[in-house]
Amino acid sequence: MTVDQRPIEIDDALWEELIEITDGKAAPCFQCGVCTAACPWGLVRGDPLSVRSIMRGAQLGFLEAQEAIWLCTACGQCEIYCPREVPIVDVFQGLRQLLWERRKTPAGLTTVLWSVYWNNNPLSQPPSQRMGWAEGLDLQAYDSSKHEILMYFGCTASYDSRAQSVARAIVQLLRAADVSFGTLGEEEPCCGEAVLRLGHSPYFQDVAQHATDIFEKIKVGKLVTVSPHCFDVFKNHYPHINESFKPIHYTEYIAGLIEGNRLILEGSLSSKITYHDPCLLGRVNESTHYPRVILETVPDARVIEMPQSGPDTLCCGGGGGRMWMETPPGERFSDLRIQEALDVDADIIATACPLCISCLEDSIGSMGVTKLKVHDIAEIAQMALGEVSKNDPVEE
Amino acid sequence: MVASLYAPSEAKKALWVFLEIEGGDFAGVSIELLSKGRDLAGKAGWTVCGLLLGNDVSDLANQAYSYGADEVWLIDHPLLGEFDVCGYSHVTMQAIKVGKPSVFLLGATPNGRDLAGRLAVRLRTGLNADCTDLILDEDRGVLISEVTGFGGGVIALLESAEHCPQMSTVRPGVFVANEPEDNRQGELVNMKVKLKKADIRSTVVERHVGEGVDLTQAPVLICGGRGIDGDFEILRELAALVDGEVGATRPPVDEGHIERERQVGQTGVVCRPKVALNFGISGAFHFIVGIQDAETIIAINTDPEAPIFEHADYCIVENAHKILPELIKVLRRERESIHA
Repeated sequence: MTVDQRPIEIDDALWEELIEITDGKAAPCFQCGVCTAACPWGLVRGDPLSVRSIMRGAQLGFLEAQEAIWLCTACGQCEIYCPREVPIVDVFQGLRQLLWERRKTPAGLTTVLWSVYWNNNPLSQPPSQRMGWAEGLDLQAYDSSKHEILMYFGCTASYDSRAQSVARAIVQLLRAADVSFGTLGEEEPCCGEAVLRLGHSPYFQDVAQHATDIFEKIKVGKLVTVSPHCFDVFKNHYPHINESFKPIHYTEYIAGLIEGNRLILEGSLSSKITYHDPCLLGRVNESTHYPRVILETVPDARVIEMPQSGPDTLCCGGGGGRMWMETPPGERFSDLRIQEALDVDADIIATACPLCISCLEDSIGSMGVTKLKVHDIAEIAQMALGEVSKNDPVEE
Repeated sequence: MVASLYAPSEAKKALWVFLEIEGGDFAGVSIELLSKGRDLAGKAGWTVCGLLLGNDVSDLANQAYSYGADEVWLIDHPLLGEFDVCGYSHVTMQAIKVGKPSVFLLGATPNGRDLAGRLAVRLRTGLNADCTDLILDEDRGVLISEVTGFGGGVIALLESAEHCPQMSTVRPGVFVANEPEDNRQGELVNMKVKLKKADIRSTVVERHVGEGVDLTQAPVLICGGRGIDGDFEILRELAALVDGEVGATRPPVDEGHIERERQVGQTGVVCRPKVALNFGISGAFHFIVGIQDAETIIAINTDPEAPIFEHADYCIVENAHKILPELIKVLRRERESIHA
């Protein structure tokens, strides 16, 4: 390896801008490099993503290695090991914002933002089709005085045909437990997570404010999400909505229904299931208990853990806006994850995030794996509903 | 709203088409617009005018008549040899102020869009971009433009009845070119304009035409997925027969069967062909995003449950390897009979 001998140019104006945009969050970093060692890119690339150098750049005011800034999947693995508690993901997003201002973004990302603007979803899908998946389900419009929860499906579960089956499973589970719930139908606002993660903070503030106004108007209380991504932004990145607002990921809500004996899973499912914690649940929001409560309740299922689980979970590669960027074959974290699931001899790799499903299924296809299936926990719970509940006429 | 430079009451019953030149010949979209303009104006008794700009291009006027122009307004000037949006908008403004057309149509090409936007602002009129159809309300003299919005979820009919000229841009391939009438005559209007060197702000130093493909412009897209087992040669053969381009889903690109720039979908290219033929593609959502705006989607897959069939207009449950040679045989026979 040759050492780059060029002097580093430090730009004072850029330095000030960097400090302002990242809110000085990189300042406590003392360059130990644990972040670089923890980053999953090191598992797939000979040359790891040097998180440490990027933090140094953010401290000093130089902005090199622009490709690296777009690699971060916001998995947060570096943050849990950082001895100085630097909010590294936020710093990356700040650097991305700077690249937006300089119009140096990878191809295709502007389309994602424009789609949120025009279509109220990042997927370039028509807003009028948002509830297309729910045809025949007769979902009720949310009324805070009548409903226990607002069921927030989010863009991916509304449009991605694979994730739609998760949305339908959740509806069936809620009905089996006799939960009164409402939805916002076509008026459901995009949470803006893609915009936040891609680093366009000013536009994210707009999107969040728009959604906040809607939630305030309907006097939202408990809001249950399908995706951990929506859950995380509502919980950690939104302005204050009202005192009763409480975002919950569906795994926590369903686990509560099981523990409160409102939902009973009595259909047998004799499979070896391993659970892939989505980063935003298992690590970032420390929610490792509830998904396992559901899986362990499934009669005849055996739950086995992979080496990297709970807060130490391995990212699927789809977070941090990476769903909208191409990852070359051989560099996909999900390939490693599928191998891990095969190594523990699982029949099913369960997860609770539509983006994880997408990445994991993609790897199963490209690796030619046939003996392992990817299922969302909601789909597994749906399979484990007793015969009586299964015959509920919800899908007619 | 501010008034346009001339009022609808002052406008002539004329429909103008910007004639874009591409390598010494008219761009396809200009011929398509002349043909459509002919149909619209014919019914209403209007005049169709082609606006021809360039250096030493008067020979092209006859071709414009043959496709339906009654008049060609020619601005022939040494400084107009290359498209420069400053120079072109400068002289087009002068022509429009004299000719006062009711309607002005341009192709939604990079240059056409560039020119249309600037002119609409200067003329203080409206511009309907990327129209999918045009209707002329003869009684009111109003052009109604159809545009799709929200990812194709709605169709809007737009008019700008109070402003002139009524401007629209139309993408190549939306309208069909009429057969040329070789003996059709027209009138040449030679426009003298004020144009000096300082009005042109850019010079073409060198012209590079990339080798790269542009799938977004292909009228026919032939896509292959995992199910064609890397046999893209046969897809190329089919594509050559229907003047199409070959695209692919992510797996064959990953496996190196075809170059990354032909990947269609969320992290690849988003296309709007007239026809998309999909061979051996299951139809993951991330791919569907890339073809959902195609006018007609045809899918061939062995699995009747494949999600692609939910998006296809025509569904064929069969092995792609069986269909392809037969399809090629039929197309080849048809081509030969046309040329025979």
